[in-house]
Amino acid sequence: MDITFLLNGESVEIRDVDATTTLLDWLREDRGLTGTKEGCNEGDCGACTVMVTDQTGARALNACILFLPQLHGKALRTVEGLTAPDGTLHPVQQAMIDHHGSQCGFCTPGFVMSMATAHANGDTGHDDALAGNLCRCTGYAPIIRAAKAAQNAPIPDWLAGESSRVTPYTAPQTDSGNAHAPETADALAQLYADNPDATLVAGATDVGLWVTKGLRALPQTIFLNRCRDLQQITETDTGVRIGAGVTMDRVLPLMRRLHPSYAEMIRRYGSAQVRAAATIGGNIANGSPIGDNPPALIALNATLHLRHRNTRRDLPIGDFFVAYGKQERAPGEFVEAVTIPRQPDRLRVYKLSKRFDQDISAVCGAFSITVEDGKVSDARIAFGGLAGTPKRASRVESALTGKPWTHDTIAAARHAWEDDFQPLSDMRASAEYRLTTARNMLTRYLLEDLGDPVSVLGVTP
Amino acid sequence: MSDILALAPRFGSNSGQSLTRRDGVAKVTGTATFAADNHPDGLLYAVYVPATIARGTVTHLDVAAAKAHPGVVEVITPENRPPLAGDPDSKPFMFAFRFEALQNNTVRYANQPIALVLAETFEAATEGARLLNPLYDAQQPRMGLDGDAPFTPESGGLGLPGTTVHGDIDAGHAASAQDIDVTYETPEQYHNAMETHAVVAQWNGDHVTLDIPSQAIVMQRGAFGYYFGIPPENVTIRSPYLGGGFGSKAIINGPQILAILAARMTGRPVKLMLSRDQMFGPSGHRGATRQRLRIGIDTDHRMTVLDHNSLATTSTFDTFVESAANASQGLYAAGALRSAHQGVRIDAGTPGPVRAPGEAPGSAALECAMDEMAYKAGIDPLEFRLKNYAETEPGTGKPYSSKALRDCYAQGAARFGWAGRPLAPRQMTDENGMLVGWGMGTALFAAPMFAAQARAVLRPDGTGLVETAASDMGQGAWTALAQIAADSLGLPMDRIEFRSGTSDLPDAGIAGGSAHTATAGGALHAAGTDAIRRLAELATGDPDSPLYGAGNAGVIARDGRLHARDDDTRSESFADIITRAGGAEVEGKGSASRTAEASAAHAMYSHGAVFAEVKVDPDLFQIRVTRLVGAFAAGRIINPKLTESQLMGGMIWGISFALHEEARFDQRTGRIMNADLAGYHIPVNADVSGLEVITVHEDDPHVNPLGIKGVGEIGITGTVGAIGNAIWHATGTRVRHFPIRIPDLLTGA
Repeated sequence: MDITFLLNGESVEIRDVDATTTLLDWLREDRGLTGTKEGCNEGDCGACTVMVTDQTGARALNACILFLPQLHGKALRTVEGLTAPDGTLHPVQQAMIDHHGSQCGFCTPGFVMSMATAHANGDTGHDDALAGNLCRCTGYAPIIRAAKAAQNAPIPDWLAGESSRVTPYTAPQTDSGNAHAPETADALAQLYADNPDATLVAGATDVGLWVTKGLRALPQTIFLNRCRDLQQITETDTGVRIGAGVTMDRVLPLMRRLHPSYAEMIRRYGSAQVRAAATIGGNIANGSPIGDNPPALIALNATLHLRHRNTRRDLPIGDFFVAYGKQERAPGEFVEAVTIPRQPDRLRVYKLSKRFDQDISAVCGAFSITVEDGKVSDARIAFGGLAGTPKRASRVESALTGKPWTHDTIAAARHAWEDDFQPLSDMRASAEYRLTTARNMLTRYLLEDLGDPVSVLGVTP
Repeated sequence: MSDILALAPRFGSNSGQSLTRRDGVAKVTGTATFAADNHPDGLLYAVYVPATIARGTVTHLDVAAAKAHPGVVEVITPENRPPLAGDPDSKPFMFAFRFEALQNNTVRYANQPIALVLAETFEAATEGARLLNPLYDAQQPRMGLDGDAPFTPESGGLGLPGTTVHGDIDAGHAASAQDIDVTYETPEQYHNAMETHAVVAQWNGDHVTLDIPSQAIVMQRGAFGYYFGIPPENVTIRSPYLGGGFGSKAIINGPQILAILAARMTGRPVKLMLSRDQMFGPSGHRGATRQRLRIGIDTDHRMTVLDHNSLATTSTFDTFVESAANASQGLYAAGALRSAHQGVRIDAGTPGPVRAPGEAPGSAALECAMDEMAYKAGIDPLEFRLKNYAETEPGTGKPYSSKALRDCYAQGAARFGWAGRPLAPRQMTDENGMLVGWGMGTALFAAPMFAAQARAVLRPDGTGLVETAASDMGQGAWTALAQIAADSLGLPMDRIEFRSGTSDLPDAGIAGGSAHTATAGGALHAAGTDAIRRLAELATGDPDSPLYGAGNAGVIARDGRLHARDDDTRSESFADIITRAGGAEVEGKGSASRTAEASAAHAMYSHGAVFAEVKVDPDLFQIRVTRLVGAFAAGRIINPKLTESQLMGGMIWGISFALHEEARFDQRTGRIMNADLAGYHIPVNADVSGLEVITVHEDDPHVNPLGIKGVGEIGITGTVGAIGNAIWHATGTRVRHFPIRIPDLLTGA
């Protein structure tokens, strides 16, 4: 496979690229661009953050779990390319110096690239933009001060228009025998049906770890990032259809509008770098029991669109998760999109994790309960972290449906929880904690719904 | 203007100027060269193979398979490992720990090196390492604080005593009107500097050059020389930048030695960089502790006894026992005071110094116990501490060199708004119904000094050159030390050249113990003073100089000129003095250390007070630290900007200790289950809000000539306890282990 992209403004062509070479290794070892650092090699620390621009704008991405083919047709900036050719510093670089945002300096290039990307996008939500960059020295405050200080500076000339310099999707990538990058969902359907053992690579936020951490060889890969028809968001009167290739940084603003509680969960579950790479289809299809999208999508009664060659079928998303590690997906079949039906926003998502931000959930609960005339007319409740798959609380739902929307009803449903879930104790939380908080989430939902302040009664010292 | 003594007091402190760090541009542009960024020609990549058992022996390695992989150049195992001049299991000098360098096939802990693979590319070395596919004869590992019978160590670690007693403990217990007996546990923690350990080694005959992050640049020269049988001067260490150290980069580890050995064996430069998971093994950590604290008070709430006993994990083959109980020395005026330590040997790597070694876990337990005692006595926790304020060092009776702790309490409490805090827990909620709690803790850290040398040169062009092999691991040593040097030479910063970070320069001592600025700064100050003295001799002895006859004591250096002390109009520039004297550079030498007499005369500590607010979800138990205010007195502050960040960074380590950091061992295999940054949590920016640092004015005429104490570690102490106490105050649930995890609060539901 041959690829072409812009590296710090210069065109780079790589022939016969090894499809699972990470950008970080290539930058540091092949190009000698050592400003980009390796802190964890699995997307947890942000030390390797680079700026990747395409026609849709600039994104901060973790180079350690980005495979070279994913760069084709894009513009890449590393810390070495952030400074003007004459050495003039980018405003965020100057601000980092002025505000003492750099101490040991090892995380600094990653921070600077995250800041420069947010700056390019006019994004002043610094806390969120920098949540994916770990620092062990500063205490963060000086870094945030630096970001604020630079936010109103104009985009430097040497970076302006980066997206217009990207050659728009010119030549398709040439395939090699074991790495493919189809241009359309049709081509993908054909290719995958013919090669059902191939590994589909969307954002590589999970598959990247198979390689960098699991040291797995991927004999056959199909990269999805060039299938633009998988990246569409289509809103109609009846629902919103989200293509499997839509990255989570695009789902976030969509959900802010439609289901804000879902959006708040997305804000916490990944860093900006991860959200910019990870796709909703990937998060669903890998079937993790602790993936954070599925509970919300189940509670929203979403429909999954699956495709095998030219055969398409729809599935209620809850039915997709059969058992731990097993999904309702045939060989060569892939997730094409997911549709969330239009509905009044009754969704609340509660994500509990040891570290508040950017941690894998101990429990993630999603609730959508419709109340008519004081009675529950419909209840959709789903959890991650309580079973081997994302799972609905069917018994609890039944115990609520048709009953008055009151504390008494919730209390009466108390034992239905054990029927629905027998969670495990593990490193993240105990079974008792999981079940207790799951129950308390329903109470919290009721209180919020009734407009009461959260009660501290009933909890004794 | 003087760089450190400028009249720019900040927060009332006697501080110098907030100069911006000198290496800032290199760091923000990615041109700062860290060890692993070096790429000499002919480089080989080394990858070490970590043991996946914690106890037993390696019975087989598929060396043939690894060697057959394209690009693999050599596989080193105990079978073919070339000899070392120094035994890795000897402890020939201070700060020497036993380590694994393939001296045999024994596995002493998970992740220790059991082989090293060398290849032309990193990928090939990684694949070669995978192909070795080790087989083991594994034994059940001994894990945890109950993994073996406790023993009483002669030394608590780094020479600290095992047990210290002042006064009559039994009498102190007997005299108490009220008491508590509580036990706290803290977990194993790993340094996890953002930069993992790395080395690039190049031999030239019997001389080796090492690009390696080092917290003890000159000292480690001798250490590496010992293991390779070459004199210290044959070892060149280049350590211009460290991506964080936190104690781990002062100690030599096995993978480094193996990489250097591999370079000698192959005759090619070798690079080894640890992966993040390999940071959980051969490079030290903080051992777990179980601390029992018994406190007794009389009817006036004065402490009759403070009895602190700590059990800590160490390895089966070396001894480093976290000196946690020593945190109770030097702080509260208890009638009787005991700090006792025990160790337990388990199948983990040997612990070592981690930022605030001993003090961090010890202070966590002590400050929580103090809170428990205060609540039982029915008085405010701050009032309780003031009631037991030590005017002289408890036990020894030594005067403090300085102690502005009362000011720290007062300023911190005022800034936080501590007054009016209800004594009972679970009294406060916010507008969203979250439980709110306030807690506090005292911060304490000793102010030691090591030994350092420095050199200062005045050049004919009027500029200065100063040299000392200091380590800048992020704290800003190069900036603060350059400020001290510039000040001592009477030159502005832009007219001095500051050389540091390589082993051919004078020894700056260890960057540890929060003593680097005091020690290396003291040496630089002495060197500068010496150079100015020599320059003054030239001027005052020269009839052609306007300063002729003024005498050494009669001149002062300011802005590149010597001035007569009693007549400012009589002055001459450095350049003129040197040029007229023949143009030879004027050299000054200086050293710094603390004499035994000085140590005996005063107790020397930095102090502080930390106040914390937390909010806890009453139903879901999620915890947020919403406010932290720390007020610290640490003698003269050279650079407030650097200092504030050091203290703030320390306080974030406190948040991390209280709520996040913990290595979780699989009890069956002895392996760490969360050996990555996804599972071994440190706070992210979004976890931190409302952090404030106050530096309190403190003049210290005794601690050292510059009056400098340290700020690198004290921020952790006090903070952990303050957060633990705030969580109790919010919820009523007293959790007696760290980190406090959300399920721990379930008992309150």
